[in-house]
Amino acid sequence: MNVKRRADTVGTLRFVSVFLMETLASWIPATPEMEVKILFSRQVWRMAQQADRLGRRARELRAPLHYSRPPQRDFLAAFKQLAAVTDTVDRIDAFHDIALSALAAEYKVYLTETDRLTDEPTVVICNQALEEIKIMQRERQEWGSEIPKARATDSGALKAVRQAIAATKEMVDRNEQAA
Amino acid sequence: MDSFETKVVRGVTLRKDPAREACFQIAETDDQMISWPDWTEESKRERIHRHMNNEMSTTEVAAQCLCDFPDADWELRMELARQVWDEGRHAMGLYRRLKELGGRKGEFPIANFEWAVSSYLDSVIGRITVMNRTFEAGTMDLMAFIPDRWREHGDPQTAELLDAIAADEIQHVRFANHWVHKMCAENKRNLIKVAQAVRFMNVAQEALAPAAGVTNLAGVAVEDVTQSAPINVADRQLADFTDEEISALLRQHGMESVVINERKSALS
Repeated sequence: MNVKRRADTVGTLRFVSVFLMETLASWIPATPEMEVKILFSRQVWRMAQQADRLGRRARELRAPLHYSRPPQRDFLAAFKQLAAVTDTVDRIDAFHDIALSALAAEYKVYLTETDRLTDEPTVVICNQALEEIKIMQRERQEWGSEIPKARATDSGALKAVRQAIAATKEMVDRNEQAA
Repeated sequence: MDSFETKVVRGVTLRKDPAREACFQIAETDDQMISWPDWTEESKRERIHRHMNNEMSTTEVAAQCLCDFPDADWELRMELARQVWDEGRHAMGLYRRLKELGGRKGEFPIANFEWAVSSYLDSVIGRITVMNRTFEAGTMDLMAFIPDRWREHGDPQTAELLDAIAADEIQHVRFANHWVHKMCAENKRNLIKVAQAVRFMNVAQEALAPAAGVTNLAGVAVEDVTQSAPINVADRQLADFTDEEISALLRQHGMESVVINERKSALS
């Protein structure tokens, strides 16, 4: 993976992290349950920090500071569908289960493709993000006492989001015009 | 910025309340609230309950800024994201304390005035001027003495909790001061946005202010439970208010003697 490709992926991961931060932020006033609002508030800060680290790393890869690159069109459409869910349990699981799993998969792909020595600063960021994703997913199960449990079977809206994201092939848009 | 739903309270158009659980009763004005001037167990729970909702409301204002102003400087957005986390932790800490004292969500009416005013504004500089530099800074003034009142009434645990919250609030006011000054220096038009925001807040506060002698739902005169505090000079300095701004605030609050005394003590 050359420097340009690294920068494109880092910029895309940043775009997605900011998108998720904004999604969570929009859900906070729109979700009635107080503990759920607070759970989302915790994850807003984590997603912001991930985006910040990626944005600073982008500059070290010959991209502008806080470079953001939209993902593939179908990936973005699926994430917009995710951001549009309205039910509280759907929102909790759309983020913690579906979005974070998709993001973790991208970080893992990056780690297998990059050179772990020359690109070590990005590797550190990816590993930290993966650790934080695990913490957020654990919080979904364990944090607070009033967070509703996941449903035994997905609602129609959540199932549709899951399918839309599963149908996407790749997150990073390699088209030059994507930037 | 997307359009949003509004409400009209006493002739002033404000942003419609954020979502709340069904257990909460939403008040629009102080006469629809319940609070007491004394420090009974019930009164203590009400104070915590009200503060808990205020922290939730501030979480929501900062979160809404992240959605409404995606083009704001990233460093400012980071401050707002951090504030979202802080205020959420404050709300959770107060909820935990409320339950320890035998209280529950929805035990008393709540009001979302700060959300309704701040989030109505259409600029990020307007919102941080009103929410952080005014409402939060006002809380900072109150927090200079409120923890001690809790200690006096035999509750050091709540006092410690409030003191920890107050320390966080200083940074929220500080970053707002930093960004308001920076944005106004970069673009003079931002001064107009700040002035418009302050004017809107004053109009709303005036319209919703209780008439003399009005009582709340507990039958207590609203003026007997309205909280006010002298300007907390030490914390305002920590929050990077300039000396000129602090002096102006002191004069506005009829506390010129304090300015003089502060200067005298600084010289002695």
